[in-house]
Amino acid sequence: MRLHPFALAEPESVAEAVEILARLEGETRIIAGGTALVPTMRLALVTPDRLVSLHRIPGLSQIRMDKGVLEIGAMSSLAALARHDVVRSRWPLLAEAAGRVATPAIRSTATLGGNLCYAEAASDPAPALLCLDTRVRVADSVGERVVPIGEFFTGFYDTAVAPNEMLTGVSVPAVPAGARSGYVKFCPRSAEDKPLIGVAALLVLDAAKRVGEIRIALGGAAPTPMRAHRAEAAVKGRELTDTVTRDAAEAAAAEAEPLSDLMGSADYRREMIRVWVRRLLLSLGSGS
Amino acid sequence: MIAIDFTLNNRPCRIEVPAHWTALDLLRDGLALNGTKYGCGEGVCGTCTVLLDGEPVRSCLVLASRLRDRVVVTVEGLESDGEPDRLQTAFARAGAVQCGFCTPGMLLSARALLAANPSPTEHDVRAALAGNLCRCTGYTKIIEAVLAAAGGR
Repeated sequence: MRLHPFALAEPESVAEAVEILARLEGETRIIAGGTALVPTMRLALVTPDRLVSLHRIPGLSQIRMDKGVLEIGAMSSLAALARHDVVRSRWPLLAEAAGRVATPAIRSTATLGGNLCYAEAASDPAPALLCLDTRVRVADSVGERVVPIGEFFTGFYDTAVAPNEMLTGVSVPAVPAGARSGYVKFCPRSAEDKPLIGVAALLVLDAAKRVGEIRIALGGAAPTPMRAHRAEAAVKGRELTDTVTRDAAEAAAAEAEPLSDLMGSADYRREMIRVWVRRLLLSLGSGS
Repeated sequence: MIAIDFTLNNRPCRIEVPAHWTALDLLRDGLALNGTKYGCGEGVCGTCTVLLDGEPVRSCLVLASRLRDRVVVTVEGLESDGEPDRLQTAFARAGAVQCGFCTPGMLLSARALLAANPSPTEHDVRAALAGNLCRCTGYTKIIEAVLAAAGGR
């Protein structure tokens, strides 16, 4: 079964790509890895007139550290992120979350930029990037702007990237010294699925074992990936005791706005948020 | 139509392909390499898996134009001089093939695993093959075959 025919542009620079996007001719879509877009085209849920493929733009799949900041090109594959030594040692939360997406042959092809622009509510990398205070770089034919990750997801499968713009990469600042982090995903069917809900957290304990810095983010818990600010407030400045982790889990479940779908009801998602936020915080509190 | 050059099973390949064709369309319908199967067409079942620069990819999800200047290995590229490679031999010996539809994808996912990790544990094998569905074998003999090939037996 063929895909519906489309014109294909293969620009060799970001400038050339945004020039094509600026023309806004018919329905134009950017294709990165294609692991999300091609299945939706196969099902004819979208039938673009034109695809702009980014695979020939040099440097877009670079992963490098610059002055302590991790710079990730939009076309970096999730597999490359998951196995990158610097990412694994300094941003383990991101390596862990990228390595939990789908299966090896999807991670080899799927890109971080594509994952963000698809804006799946149950994305694995998104909660990690929300915890890491990531900045998203977006370009158009005039120049580049930076969008804080907290303002990037604007609605159900929707982002701050306009039709004439493209995501070029993300910048991830250094993780606070002594930070502990983790990502858990709950898959009721099979491990390679997108999660029913996912939870990422990053925290720093002070000498008295009280929570200093704390960031908690959820996938599958609302129409977009989200920071759980009320859950963070419930643990900030406190020890991660049984009661405190229960309070945080209750807060996260209360602030979540889950949807019901074939994978699970909103009530079930809320209950699993309660369970997995608590489990993750307990494990981070007891870990070294 | 777009013209692409790439390396296919150790040989140079130059061909013109419609822009909307996937790599799988090109392999099966443009090049008559029918070892690579069309299963779900959505990247879930794994039977269309081929190696692109050594990494397993779903050929049903990758546009043919992405193959330009890269190195592709399909199941037809595993044998040498008409002899099956050690994974193929191990699959046959272990009885890891029943209907055979998933086998090309299994072999290439396993090939990528052994290239990156020559001495995998059973867990490593299960993780590497997680995206390759088999409805016949129950996986046990497939995993035994990959472990046997890794052990050189």
